[in-house]
Amino acid sequence: MSTAPTPTKEQLSDYCHNLLRPGNTNCAGCGMSMGLQWLDEALGEDRPTLVIPACCGIVTAGAFPTSAYGVPTVAATFASAPAVATGVSVVYRLNNEDRPTVCWTGDGGTYDIGVATLSAAAERNEDMIYVCYDNEIYGNTGGQRSSATPEGVVTSTTEKGKAERKKDMMAIMAGHRIPYAATLSLAHREDFLRKVRRARSLRGFKFFLILSPCPTGWKSEAEDSVDLIRLAVRSGLFPVYEVFGGVRYRVNVQPDGTPVEEYMKRQRRYTKGKTDAAVLRRFIEDQWHYLNGMVRAFPAGPND
Amino acid sequence: MMEMTIFGRGGQGGVTLAKLIATTYFREGKYVQAFGVYAAERSGAPLQAFVRIDDEEITNHNQIREPDHVVVIDRTLIGRHIASGLKPAGWIILNTPDAPAAFAEMFPGRQVATVDATEIAVANGLGTKAVPIVNTTMLGAIARILGLPVEQVEGALSYAKFGGPNLKAARQAAQAVRMQTLKGRAAAVAPGAPKGPVAGILDDVVGGMPTIRTGSWASRRPERQRFTPPCNHGCPAGNDVRGFLEAVARDQDYTKALEIILQTSPLPGICGRVCPAPCMEACNRSDYDEAVNIREVERYIADHGRWPEATPPTRKERIAVVGSGPAGLSATYHLARLGYPVTLIEAGDELGGVLRTGIPTYRLPRDVLGREINHIVRHGVEVQTGRRVGRADLLELSHSFAAVFVATGQQENRALNLQNLEPGVVEQGIDFLDRVRKGQESLKGAHVVVVGGGNTAMDAARSARRIGAASVRILYRRTRQEMPAIAEEVEEAIEEGIELQELVLPVRLTKDSLGAVLTCQRMKLGEPDESGRRRPVPDESEDAWFDVRCDRVLLALGQVSDLTILPEGSAVHEKDKESALLGWTGAPVFTGGDLVTNEGTVTAAIGSGRRAAWHIHRTLTGEDLFPEEGPPVAEPRILHMHIFEHAPRERPAMLRPEDRRTSFREVRLGFIDEPAHHAALLEAQRCFSCGVCNECDRCLTHCPEGILLRERDGYRFDYDYCKGCGVCSTQCPRGVIYMAEL
Amino acid sequence: MARALVTGNHAAGYALSVAGEANRQARGCAAGAYPITPQTEIIEYLRSFAFTKGYIVPVESEHSAMGVCIGASLAGARAMTASSANGLAYMNENVFAAGYYRLPIIMIAVNRTLGPPWNIWVDQGDSLSLRDAAWMQFYTESHQDLVDTILVAFRVAEDHRVLLPALVALDGFVVSHTQMVVDLPEQQLVDRYLPPCHVPHQVSYEHPVTVGGLTWPRETEHHRIEVQRAMEQVPQVLSEATEEFVKVFGRRPHTALSCEYTEDAEVVLIACNTMVRTLRNVVKERRAKGEKIGLIKEKLFRPFPRAELRAALKNVKKVGVLDRNHSPGSGGIFWQEVTTSLQGHSDVLVQDYLVGLGGGDVTPAIINDIIDDLYRRKQAAEPVWKEVVA
Repeated sequence: MSTAPTPTKEQLSDYCHNLLRPGNTNCAGCGMSMGLQWLDEALGEDRPTLVIPACCGIVTAGAFPTSAYGVPTVAATFASAPAVATGVSVVYRLNNEDRPTVCWTGDGGTYDIGVATLSAAAERNEDMIYVCYDNEIYGNTGGQRSSATPEGVVTSTTEKGKAERKKDMMAIMAGHRIPYAATLSLAHREDFLRKVRRARSLRGFKFFLILSPCPTGWKSEAEDSVDLIRLAVRSGLFPVYEVFGGVRYRVNVQPDGTPVEEYMKRQRRYTKGKTDAAVLRRFIEDQWHYLNGMVRAFPAGPND
Repeated sequence: MMEMTIFGRGGQGGVTLAKLIATTYFREGKYVQAFGVYAAERSGAPLQAFVRIDDEEITNHNQIREPDHVVVIDRTLIGRHIASGLKPAGWIILNTPDAPAAFAEMFPGRQVATVDATEIAVANGLGTKAVPIVNTTMLGAIARILGLPVEQVEGALSYAKFGGPNLKAARQAAQAVRMQTLKGRAAAVAPGAPKGPVAGILDDVVGGMPTIRTGSWASRRPERQRFTPPCNHGCPAGNDVRGFLEAVARDQDYTKALEIILQTSPLPGICGRVCPAPCMEACNRSDYDEAVNIREVERYIADHGRWPEATPPTRKERIAVVGSGPAGLSATYHLARLGYPVTLIEAGDELGGVLRTGIPTYRLPRDVLGREINHIVRHGVEVQTGRRVGRADLLELSHSFAAVFVATGQQENRALNLQNLEPGVVEQGIDFLDRVRKGQESLKGAHVVVVGGGNTAMDAARSARRIGAASVRILYRRTRQEMPAIAEEVEEAIEEGIELQELVLPVRLTKDSLGAVLTCQRMKLGEPDESGRRRPVPDESEDAWFDVRCDRVLLALGQVSDLTILPEGSAVHEKDKESALLGWTGAPVFTGGDLVTNEGTVTAAIGSGRRAAWHIHRTLTGEDLFPEEGPPVAEPRILHMHIFEHAPRERPAMLRPEDRRTSFREVRLGFIDEPAHHAALLEAQRCFSCGVCNECDRCLTHCPEGILLRERDGYRFDYDYCKGCGVCSTQCPRGVIYMAEL
Repeated sequence: MARALVTGNHAAGYALSVAGEANRQARGCAAGAYPITPQTEIIEYLRSFAFTKGYIVPVESEHSAMGVCIGASLAGARAMTASSANGLAYMNENVFAAGYYRLPIIMIAVNRTLGPPWNIWVDQGDSLSLRDAAWMQFYTESHQDLVDTILVAFRVAEDHRVLLPALVALDGFVVSHTQMVVDLPEQQLVDRYLPPCHVPHQVSYEHPVTVGGLTWPRETEHHRIEVQRAMEQVPQVLSEATEEFVKVFGRRPHTALSCEYTEDAEVVLIACNTMVRTLRNVVKERRAKGEKIGLIKEKLFRPFPRAELRAALKNVKKVGVLDRNHSPGSGGIFWQEVTTSLQGHSDVLVQDYLVGLGGGDVTPAIINDIIDDLYRRKQAAEPVWKEVVA
């Protein structure tokens, strides 16, 4: 085999052990990058093996032979991440290696092309943490609609705003009765870290959904990324909650009635098509009608 | 064939610019080709785009290596390399505010054109702050250089469905572009870089750090700034309020917090009880929910922190301080800390001045007063009580001491002309309070009227209640809102059953067979006076007069300075605050405290005393301890308050009103710790730390790149990798980080 | 050796299982398994095998079956699976991934017509559609050939000079569902034959890498060259593995290219899988009549043994290729490979015969007919369809 120059001392810098190393090619203000930083922090020395399907998450790894990931990382084909992760996780288990296997996937890989693979791995209750960083579009290909795109959003394949509602992936995953499913807010760090650590303490399939700002696709200011998520949470558009065993619900952050317009007006994906805020308000109302109903009927217990 | 290379960044529209140039020529009937280089890089990454224009069909599909012209749409990409391969007569077209001549060294002998497309694009609302989209603007400049009429550009833009602002920007750029052939000889074309070895899939080298310095993508970068917190700015004593709150909030280190306060104020337990807390009025948190309860935290610190050991004097110059009220105590303390042996002279039997005589013990228990005075005295201070200093004594002092500080406060009480001052009925509140203190008063069954709206009025009223008054009523000529008394004091007084009558002026006292009658006139609020409060003016209507029957009238209308101690003809003005009276035959004499400032608060007196100490020190040694003017005050708009969770203010425990009416026990009990509820900590954590980094780590933990590094005195941004997203700046709740344009 | 009366699927399942079990001292074995006719019995066998350190994941699709294998192999385990026809097509993307990730996964392909139409019978077109996937491909003619080849394939695939996955094909139903007598080697012999599996680029915390990230044109070309070099190592490694097989099991398995009666043959027929067995009988008969005819059994299809084929056909006048597959718009795929191999080296006449497509029997009569046709030919023509007159 031929050899390329060995890495310089600088290349093997302090950053070498970062889960996501600087020099990655994610856009400025990318929510996924932030999520990876917090995943890193939550797991600490408990280093994960990442399995990432075709998405921005694998493109950002950078050009061979370098790697923007400081942990073992496998690029899976688009629909395969949970299957590949199953293989990794099974072999770790066979060898009594207590390593977290983490699927890190976009909404396309989760809601659309990978949903069958995801469902199967969840049904088999494979031991892994599955994280969907949901930017509500196919960001890697330039911003096309996915089944995670909210109603009214302008994408390059919904020029007049998407006509259909966003798929409720959390409900689908809860339906698999997996040990743990939760949403993660990039504006609520303590909650985020706690949930990841919680997931790590449980065996079996754990599902996380992150609403992941995409300044490029959302046509928003990079610096607004975290504030947008805070607005999504406070307005009720993105509920922060967790589901234990698929049947016990707990809301972690109550919305405070912030108008959803505050969220919409800072993103041209909404303003461009002059999306009616009432569309989102109805969505929020229905979503909380369902969620509050679940919390009332099936509340999380003291040990959850 | 004409070939052009465009250097830009992902998301800036470089490829679109290539297509727009092609479109312009296509509409003139030319064969054109426009394409970009596509790779993994995203928004902000350096990219290239290419345009070919020809009269014949274009069959070359490779990247352009020897362009006729080059365009750089991002100023941070300007460098020698962009001219590599450029033909000798080619134009270098740059987006920059600089004139072409600025590039004389970089591009000698070249034709250079410059235009500030970024400014034009931003002015026309094109793109975002992080990534302004300058392609349509640059098109205007390029067209001008290529000799294309602006109408053709507009036609191409409309054809490609670009809207009005783009057309306007293009037109502006066509006019603004500056062109020049630079002196010198064009550098030779650099050969292409040799191709290095290639790694195999199983090589050891696989997995190294990325080689891309993403810092080169940034158009902005974070910088840090500092403001003066409004609480610090508003504290007359000069306390580092934010600093002591942080010591509690971060480490619950009450000893450290106490040390911070003791840098500026020797009376934290006293201020923590009686200060009107201008810091709380200034607190930015009141714009969000409620101001931080700073006073109670200060009290908690004073009561729970470990007081440091006092240090003995180290200097020879003896200093006399006349008056042991808060200003005198403060000056004594600060002078002692500077190493001066101080002699503290007090007319009364005990130290403390108005702190002892004027503030009832239910507000300021004697043990607290004693603790803080003793701490000062332990610094080797010689105390002389029972010595009243007159004008002659002062002259004598100035001969036996290196310096003298006079802070005798305000001894003259303001009177009220009630036309018939009935002896035994009308009395000064301050004198009343002193007698109450000495246990010489009883008002069993009496009906008492207190006139005034300051703290003395409240103290007199509440003390009267405690020594048995059947009713107590406060008459005030303005409204409660204008009262100088601490709001909580007013509230507590009312809780204790004291009646407050606003907009009332007592005019005349008479006596009939049943006793004294106070005739009053109702007032209304007129125009604001020099204090900014609305001036009370008499209500001239018929029913504006009424009588109040009473046994005792206590006046609390404020006090004025007694200047007889100073040399004859001395006048102290607001402007002359704390001035040294030099030119005497002896040592310099300084004045301070209420005697000159008329502020009437402990905190102002503390500040005055400290500054006096600095004046004295500067006069004696030449060393200037006065701090330089701090940075601007942190206004609410620099903060990102929305980041904070709403949190209710912690309130101190209180003696029940029914227990207060007959007792001089302390009313406010301070924060009471409960197992899962540490009020002082929670309250200190409510502090926003406005405009001052408190190392909360939010910038670090929210950096998507993980390139903020913790350093001993804060944080370092690794600009090699910072993409300039600005999340750290929006997530700094304190407004410490801002984005500087590159 | 244990002589057993089993189906081809049972035999394949057994061979995969004991090979997996043999890695118990290393990182064990794992597989993703999904049913499809006529392969199903193999994965049933795998699921029922009591592995000491192994687990077969019952996935929801062939795509995921290969996904699991990729993950397991990257985690250092011995990985295997099996599929057929549309299952292989559905798996396609991950088959390529496994190949270019250089993972020594073994997959059994029970050949079945790739539909539509709905047809469950044998046709090599399904596995041949994966010929460009950076996998070795072996085609087996019998139960015994199948078992032996599977074991040899593990050894070759895991050899660090090769590090490529291998596909082992057998005829659907004709072998898969047919009970025959076969030697199933005992576990302890397999343990001796197969060294512990070590994937040099398995996920590592000491040296973390990103497997499969973005790669520029030059690097990509280099990696393609590396795969080609690895393929070029296969004949040598295969021959070593074969000799070792003889030592351990006392039996000689078929080699890459089995040339029979070719030394003096003027006409040679080339075929794979069970067609070879019928062909061999016909050739024997016609040899007995004095005809100068021979046959070549193509077992190793990837890498295609071009040099060996050229050597074997050096003195031959005419070659007939039997293709139980069809590449529309071209012809038989084996034929393409044969003609490419001979291009510029020989002016031998090569004629393609498309036989047994969609699972029809390739009878001695058909083969005799083909031989007669070949004798008559003065020059080659377009591929000839034998079952139905086109």
